[in-house]
Parts: sequence; C-alpha cells; structure tokens
Amino acid sequence: MKVTYNWLKDFVDIRISPEALADKLTLAGLEVVSLDKAADDFVFEIEITSNRPDWLSIYGVAREVASITGKKLRQRPSLALSGSKAEGTLKIQIADKKDCFYYCAKVIRGVSVNPSLAKISKRLELVGARPVNNIVDLTNYLLFETGQPMHAFDLDKLSLDEGIIIRRARGDEKIVTLDGIERKLDKDILVISDRLRPVAIAGVIGGKDTEVTDKTKNILLETAVFDPVLVRRMRKKLGLQSEAAYRFERGVDLSASKNVSLRCASLIAETACGKIAISKEAGKTNPSAKSIPLAVSAISRTLGVEIPAAKCKSILVSLGFTVQNKNGCLQVKVPGFRQDVKADVDLVEEIARIYGFGKIPSSLAKISPQAIVCDWRDKVSLLKEMLLGLGLNEAITYSLIDRDSLQKFGISVEPVAIRNPLSKEQEVLRPTVLPSLLRVVAVNLNQKQNQIGFFEIAEIFRSNERQDPVEEPVLAIALCGERSLLLEQGAIKDAFSMLHIKGILETVFSRLGIKGACFAAASTGEEDFIIQVSGQELGRVLSPAAVTLEAFQIKNRKVFLAQLDLAKLFALADKNKKFVPAPKYPGVTRDISFIVKDNISVSRIIEAISGLGQPLINARIVDYYRGKQIPKGFRALTVSCIYRLDDRTLTEEEVTPVQEKAVKLLVDGFGAKLR
Amino acid sequence: MDINLISAQIKEDLDKASSLNDLEALRLKYLGRKGVIAELTGAIPSVAPEERGVFGKAVNALKQQLISSLEAKQASFAAVNTQPLETVETDLGMPGIAQDLGHRHPITGIIDEVCGIFSRMGFRVLEGPQIETEHNNFTGLNIPLEHPSRDAFDTFYLQDHQKLLLRSHTSPMQVRAMGKNKPPLAIVVPGRVYRPDAVDASHLFMFHQIEGLLVDEGVTFADLKGVLEVFVKAVFGQGISMRFRPHFFPFTEPSAEVDISCIICKGKGCSVCGRKGWLEILGSGMVHPNVFRQVGYDPKRFTGFAFGMGVERIAMLKYGINDIRLFFENDLRFLKQF
Repeated sequence: MKVTYNWLKDFVDIRISPEALADKLTLAGLEVVSLDKAADDFVFEIEITSNRPDWLSIYGVAREVASITGKKLRQRPSLALSGSKAEGTLKIQIADKKDCFYYCAKVIRGVSVNPSLAKISKRLELVGARPVNNIVDLTNYLLFETGQPMHAFDLDKLSLDEGIIIRRARGDEKIVTLDGIERKLDKDILVISDRLRPVAIAGVIGGKDTEVTDKTKNILLETAVFDPVLVRRMRKKLGLQSEAAYRFERGVDLSASKNVSLRCASLIAETACGKIAISKEAGKTNPSAKSIPLAVSAISRTLGVEIPAAKCKSILVSLGFTVQNKNGCLQVKVPGFRQDVKADVDLVEEIARIYGFGKIPSSLAKISPQAIVCDWRDKVSLLKEMLLGLGLNEAITYSLIDRDSLQKFGISVEPVAIRNPLSKEQEVLRPTVLPSLLRVVAVNLNQKQNQIGFFEIAEIFRSNERQDPVEEPVLAIALCGERSLLLEQGAIKDAFSMLHIKGILETVFSRLGIKGACFAAASTGEEDFIIQVSGQELGRVLSPAAVTLEAFQIKNRKVFLAQLDLAKLFALADKNKKFVPAPKYPGVTRDISFIVKDNISVSRIIEAISGLGQPLINARIVDYYRGKQIPKGFRALTVSCIYRLDDRTLTEEEVTPVQEKAVKLLVDGFGAKLR
Repeated sequence: MDINLISAQIKEDLDKASSLNDLEALRLKYLGRKGVIAELTGAIPSVAPEERGVFGKAVNALKQQLISSLEAKQASFAAVNTQPLETVETDLGMPGIAQDLGHRHPITGIIDEVCGIFSRMGFRVLEGPQIETEHNNFTGLNIPLEHPSRDAFDTFYLQDHQKLLLRSHTSPMQVRAMGKNKPPLAIVVPGRVYRPDAVDASHLFMFHQIEGLLVDEGVTFADLKGVLEVFVKAVFGQGISMRFRPHFFPFTEPSAEVDISCIICKGKGCSVCGRKGWLEILGSGMVHPNVFRQVGYDPKRFTGFAFGMGVERIAMLKYGINDIRLFFENDLRFLKQF
C-alpha cells in the first residue's frame, strides 16, 4: 500500500525525515519497500501484513507514526447530520445479515459533477488511483484515508420503489461491471440490487450502467460492511481484485463506518454543491468491544525482558487501546479497528513491536539433551558419502512430472494426480525417479559432457486403492558415457556398462553388510534385472531400449539405470557386525587362465569351483579378456583360487591335487582350454 | 674339529656370498640350531678339562667374529640395494592420479550445514511426509481456511483426495512432532515443499525449507534471538549484523522476520538487497498458544519458538547464484562447483 508524507502530516506532527520515518516504520512491522520523491511530497510503499486491515489507510499508518515517534494523533472530525432532516424515504433490505453487517445509503441531490480539486487528484495519483470526477474521487480519497470502501450510484438510474436490496444473485442474472466486462452471476455472489436488476457486486465492484457520469445530478452513496469470507470467495470466483475487496476481505472497522459515511456525504455536498436529502442505515455499527486482561508477568515470560507496566500501558494507549493498570494486571479494552487482537499474546506483540525487537537482549536457550540413536538421516548421509566417493554426482529433480514422460518411459500405473497444476510439468507426482534422471542425462549430453554419473535420493509416490497415497524413499542411479582414467601407463577410456552399476551397488551392499545380493533377469527385457536379496526384491537395474532413450532426446547412447527401495535397503543392513580374527596361517594363491565359450555363465563356473571345498576358501575372477588373440565366441578368464587352513600352514602337496581338480572341472565341465 | 680350519672355511664362504639369501644360508649353516657353532659349543664338555677353557674362549671368539662379519657383509649388500633401480625423475607437473569424487548437490550441502549447526546446539533433525493433510498444513497452525493469510500459501491439492495436499511449507512437522512427543522438544526439519507459483528466476513450484521448533518451560523471545544469532554467524560469518523485524505469521505471536546485512554491499545498498542494505533470510516467532492448544500442550506452562527458512535463498546468497532454476537443471558445469 502507498502512503504519502504530507497526507500523514494531516494527522500527525512529523519532525523526522522521510528516510528516518521509513526505517522506523520498517522496524515496527510496516515494511517500507520503497521510498520515492514526488514533486513536493514523498511516497512510501508499505507491505501490509494480512492481519492488519487498520494499516490499509493513511489514518491507520498515521496512528502508528504517532506511536513510534511519540507524537499525538489528531482526531478525525466527528460529524452530525446538519441542516434539515432527511425528507424522503428509502427502504434498505438486507436479505441475510450474515452477508452484510451494515449498510448505509445517503441520497445527495443536485450535485454538479466536475474534476476534483488539484490536492485531491494529486494525492490519489500518488497512491496509485486514477482520478475520475469529484464524486468518485471523494469516495476513493476517503477509502485511502480511512480504509472504508464506498460507492456512489447515479440515483436516477436506479429503480428504488422497493428500496435498495442486498441479496444473493440468481443463476440467470448478469451484470456489466465498471471495467466493461459482462459477468454471469449466481447464488455465491452477493449483489446490490434495485427492483429490476443487480447494480453492483457487493464489496467488489460497481455496475457500469449506474456509474456516476458528467450528467449525473443525484447520487446514492453506499457505505457498507460485508462478510470478509464471502467477499474473499466472490473475489476468487470472479478472478477480480479491487481496493474495496482487498479491505473487506481483511475486515473493515464497523465502528467507524457511520462517521466516514457522514464525512464523505458532507464533503460531496460541500464540493459538488449538493444537498444530503436522505440518510438511511441498516445493520449494526457498534460491535461489542473486547476487554483483555494482560498480566505484566506474561510479557516477560514471553519476551525474556522486563518492561515496566507503565511503559506497557503507554505503548498500548498510543496505539488506541484503553488501559487500566490493576496491580500487575493491565485491563485492556480493544478498539473497533483492532479486530486482529484476540488474546493477551496479541497485546504482548504490540508491546514488543513498539518497545523494539532490537532492545530485547539475546540469550542462549537451554536445550534438554535428547537420546537419539542413529536415525534415518544418518543412514542417508552415509549412503550419499559412499556414492560421492564412487564418483557419482548428486542430482535433485522435481517430484512433479508430466504424464507424457511417464508414458515414454513405459509406465502404465495410474500416478497420484494434482488437482490444480499450473502446467503440464506439474500434472502428477512421480512413481519413479528414473525418467527425471534420464532428462538430467539428456541435458548434460547436450552440453557435450561425456562422463555422466548421477544419483538421487528422493521419494516416489504411489496410489493406494482407496487409501491415502504412499510415499517411499528410493535411491536412483544413472550412468552414461565413459570414465577417462589417466594412469602412469597413459589414458584409459572405460565405457560405462551394466557392470559399473553392479559394481557401485556391490560396494554399497558390502559397506552396509548386505550379503547374497543377486541380479536376476526380469521377464520384461533383455537388459532389465531384478536385484534380489534373500528372496526379496530390492530394486531394478536396467538399460532402456533405444526407442525409449530417443523419446528423451538421447541418441546413439546407452544409459544404465538403477532404482532401489531405500527402506528395504536399510532394513537389510547388518547392524550386528562381529569381529573375525585375521587368519593365523598364510594362504596359497593359484591362478588358472583359460578360454571358455561366451555363453557359459561366470557365476556357474565360480559356483562349481567353490564347490570343491576345503582347503579352497575362495575362487573369483581376477581378469578377463575378449579380443584379437581370442577366437570369436570365446573369452579368456583368469580365476584366482585361495587355499588356506585354520590350524596349520598348507604344504604344496596339499594344494596341488585340489588345484588339479579345479582345472579338470573347468576342462571337463565347461569345455575350457587352458592358456 | 679344528677351529682354524672352520675359521678359514667361514672366510671362504663369506667371500663367495653374493646376496642376502646367501648370507641367510650361511647364518643357518653356522649359527642355526644345528649349525657348526652349536656343534662346537656342544663339544665343549667333551674337551679335556685343562684345554676346555681355551677351547671355549676360541669358540666364543669365532662366534662373535662370525656375527660381526655377517652384519658387515649384510650392511654392504643393503647399501648396494638402496641405489634406485632406475634414475627417472618424477615430473610433478604431470596430473596426479586419483579416483574422482562426485559432487554433493549445493542444496544438500546447505541443508547439512544448517542442520549440523542446530544439531550441535541440541536440536534433533527430523523429516516429514510431503503429502500432508489440510489440518497439519493449515488449521493446526492457526491458519483459517478462508482467510487472507492463506494467500501466502497457494497450495497444490491432490486429485481424488479431498483433504490431502502437497505441503506448502515445512511447518506441518511442528504439528506432527508435537502431536507425537511431549515437551521438551527441539527439532529442525529440512525438506521439499511445493507451491503453484509461476516459474521465473526467483520462483519455482518446488523448493526446500528448513523448519525449527523449540518448546520447553521458560523459552523466550530472547532465546529465539540468541539461537538464531549463533546460526546466522555460523553460516555467514562473525562480521554479519542482523535485525529482527516485526511481521505476521498465523502460527507465531510475536512474529519476526530476520534480516542480515547485505553480504554483497555490506549494508551500503546494492541491486541484490534492493538498495536497502538488508537481506531477509528467515521467518520466526514465539509459537502461538492456539497451536499449542491444538496439540494438547498447556500454553500456560510451555512456551516455544519456531523458525523457517528457504534453503535455495540461503544457497543463492551464499554462493552468488542469481537463478533458482539452476538448482534443478543438474548441469554438471554447475554442480561441479560445489
């Protein structure tokens, strides 16, 4: 909201510079976001918090200025209807008092519509309103000054033989509003109506065909207070914002409406040479004033500083409260314009605000220790450290995604949908992180990156029949391109493959103490594997088909993906590690290098050799090769066998026969040729 | 057994030895358990008593001489062996060889840093669900459903679930944590939040917040100031100044926004701080008694403070990032800077 320096000075004697005033206002909770010089005045733009409708007026801000600068606030003139009594009659019918708390109509006859006085139109322009004519401008001027919205109708365009009616609209009604737009009405919209039709949308905007024009002779001035919630709903439904609606929605001071109406009518009568002919009102104008007891001890209990009762009292009085000090307890009467003040804490805030947050000392809270075992976040941190150590970068992508991307990725389950997305990208909550990571891969390929390794730890979302949707944390990994290693012997290009993802996962499993993970081919595709641990599905490892990748703008590339259920992963982690002493006696290592057909599974070979048992304790692949010296359809493997006994050093004579058995197994069982 | 003969044999053997292995063989041959010296020593009792003394001394002398000769020879071999095999000088201008580390996302970095600061003060780090109820997100926090204070919280709602939404702030965890635990309670809650905002350089429909809550007997606004001062100085440096500005949040009373002196212009006024010299970095306040009542805490007995901050905002200020969208593009050229 905008206020001007000179306009404030109408109500309070300001002795400090606009800049100093701006600082003081900001530190009292009226954040001045800009201060501009304009001709012979200054314009403050203030961000008013939604709880303070009283600050949506020059007078309300002036009250604050008076309080923070220690000056007196000048009272607004209190008027009584002067001259002859209202001669005519006018009926006001409020259909539902819950919609409209108060309605006052004043008929002013014989006005001459002209441009406003320079002072009025200049001030209106400074606070961002367009001057129209002396009638409209005065209603606006008082709106800004007092916060009470008003509306002037051209009386001669109203059919008032049944009076003025405040009612809900019917479904078949329409109105062309002041902005020239025809709007369809319904029962959710409160209208001001005459005998024939709606002439204004209550509290939001007036009607076009009853507006005050140059030819207007007689006017009806409306001063009303409508239900804040209703105005809010109407404003949202109509997609329309106005100065009036903004104030009604936040709450207009009922106790001042009557006086503002009188002042506006008098000013119009005075400047437009009219005569107040009728003044009628309906509804109540004086809401019961609240009285709140405030213990002085409650102030220090909340703030942590002792503020003397007298000081508290003077702060509250300067803000318009009436205060009685009864031995350590302030009895505070709340003025009508402070509907936000409901309990003693609200008063504590007022005292703290004016006393100054800066003057409240700082102390360190005493915090009771809490016994916390290693929790979820610690596990996630450990996992992240491992993955970063393995060279993967952390990605964070949106949890919301478009249905299109899911479809491209081949996901057919119905995801959790958003009722009010602003764009396609916010249609649904993702049931998998993988399409998001594919996009990250595409972005980086586009930037000519060739070493792309990412992980993301995030929640995925699943619909759950008729119950609430479920969110589950997952670990997702994507690899694309190659690693380039510069070693002593020169550069090595290491193209990413399924085995790289497997290696990453095996390292993670090993660190978490998860044993017996296996990768079983899924039925869906060639390069799609289910990660299983003790019969439980932990996740998937896959390389999407070329068509899928192309749908994500990834061409002529392979991408390797994995997604694991984090809750299951952490549940499988071994929490009971036990120390096993290092072997007492040295082992003997013997390697076997051989050539074997490609289609023979390495795990079967290892399984077979491992079956030889004591003194063989471990057999594993330590080298493999496919290339020039090896016939097509074959590969060269080196299996390293470790032999060891727990109770003595093995002799050559004990190892050799077992090793020969292993060789025989390879040759006879798998058709291996020794190299 | 002629000691002189043996002595000559030793000399010959030593001369012939050309490696450490040879020396080891000699040591075994002469000094081993069944070696020559042991044999000689074992023979001492059988020598005539009048010659026994002389013989014994001679055996001992031979043994000592052998030991020192072996050591000398061993030292000479070792001296030879410490010579470098090849004399290629290392060029340390060459790139070092190591495994590449991945890069932590800057948002994670800030979350870990901030949560670390509060953890060390005794706060517990909790996380909560992103799908929330209207109660936890609004009414439990004293935000009436049809009130202008809700305008600050435009919210995504779920299809087919009347009262479910994507949390528009991390504050619903206050309601959850207090509903589950009795005071004292000290928590910080990092996490994703969602708002249907039009996307531009400073707005996104998803971002991160960190919430803090302390409830106990005797917690005051002064404590809030002290704790947040520790936090701000830890993140932005000891030299930073800060101020608490009255504000309005439905779930705290009194409420304050916290500004820090602009880290770009040091408070002189620049484009980043909008010439104000101050940057708003978080919202805070004393927990509203209505929030306590909703979770069954006695507001007469307990007081508390709460605060909340935007993680992206802190990261943007700290690292000088001018477009919030960069955080979610995951361009490696961006991520590798953190």
